[in-house]
Amino acid sequence: MSTRLAVFLAAITALGCGAAFAATLNVGSSHLWAGSQTLTKGTCTLSGTTATTDTYVDEHAATSSFGSATTLNVSPKMNNRTWSFVRFDLSSCNIPSTGGADSATLSVRITGAPSSSRTIDVAPVGATWSGTTSWNGAQTLSYGSTTTSFATGTTSNVTKSITVTVDVDALIKSGTANYGWRLSDSGGNANTATVFASSEAATATDRPQLVINYEK
Amino acid sequence: MKLLAKFLGVALAVAATFAACGAAATLALGSRSVSAGNASVTSCGVSSLAATRKVDNSGNVTQVDVAGIPATCAGATLSIALVSSAGAALASSSTTLTGCTTTCAATFTGLGTISAANVARFSFGATGP
Repeated sequence: MSTRLAVFLAAITALGCGAAFAATLNVGSSHLWAGSQTLTKGTCTLSGTTATTDTYVDEHAATSSFGSATTLNVSPKMNNRTWSFVRFDLSSCNIPSTGGADSATLSVRITGAPSSSRTIDVAPVGATWSGTTSWNGAQTLSYGSTTTSFATGTTSNVTKSITVTVDVDALIKSGTANYGWRLSDSGGNANTATVFASSEAATATDRPQLVINYEK
Repeated sequence: MKLLAKFLGVALAVAATFAACGAAATLALGSRSVSAGNASVTSCGVSSLAATRKVDNSGNVTQVDVAGIPATCAGATLSIALVSSAGAALASSSTTLTGCTTTCAATFTGLGTISAANVARFSFGATGP
């Protein structure tokens, strides 16, 4: 009995596999190429150091620069507006232009919160700047569309995570110069300011940081 | 007769085992989206392909581009699948290669909401011309 069963099962299995062969042989007989590309994933964390370029500019001190300040200020107050700038050197991440960012998060630490929550706009900068750039110099730069905005809240010593994936992905692919981002408050005139820790802040963990989850 | 039956049973079992192995090797080609694998039949001279994708600020894939396809592939159908680390096809699409000059290129959009972080592999298939 067991012998008959074994014969029966073997015959059924063989017939089934025969059908599978027939199905694939039809496909294989046409001009066919198949291949794949496996992506390598990784994470690159760029933490602010004194070598990281960041600064702020002040409308009230239009020819002054603040590249060595320990803070980055953002204020919407008319005639006293301040903008902040931050950028990171992506070259140490060694991501080829054929790669890309799966996600990228810019983190900034609010060390001095405004009295009422403000909305900070984050926009890519389209031209070169440095720690010696002044308010007047910042007016000659070009800026891209706001990538994202975030609310400051009214609590100091909190870290804000800002998604900048699309900007970093484009930077990786273009291989062009990286001019970082501008942080500004375009919410209308108000006598208030948001203060962030800069890359010169004494506490290293307070400094701006960029985390890139990439593929290549 | 009993001995013959036993012999046939063993022989068929062995044959079925080899057939099962063969089927496993070729099933990938039989799937609709054509996943990874080695094909013994080449198509229009393509030996390898590489894709780049664009994302939105949420990290979702908005576009996949494949460039550097041999011009001899003009008229062929190029299929692509975005595959997870578990081997699941997250999205797939196909297009006919046209407008080729020195090389062909293909752009795939409308792939749905697929997080780039979940894409571990691109699988390609070229059929024809």
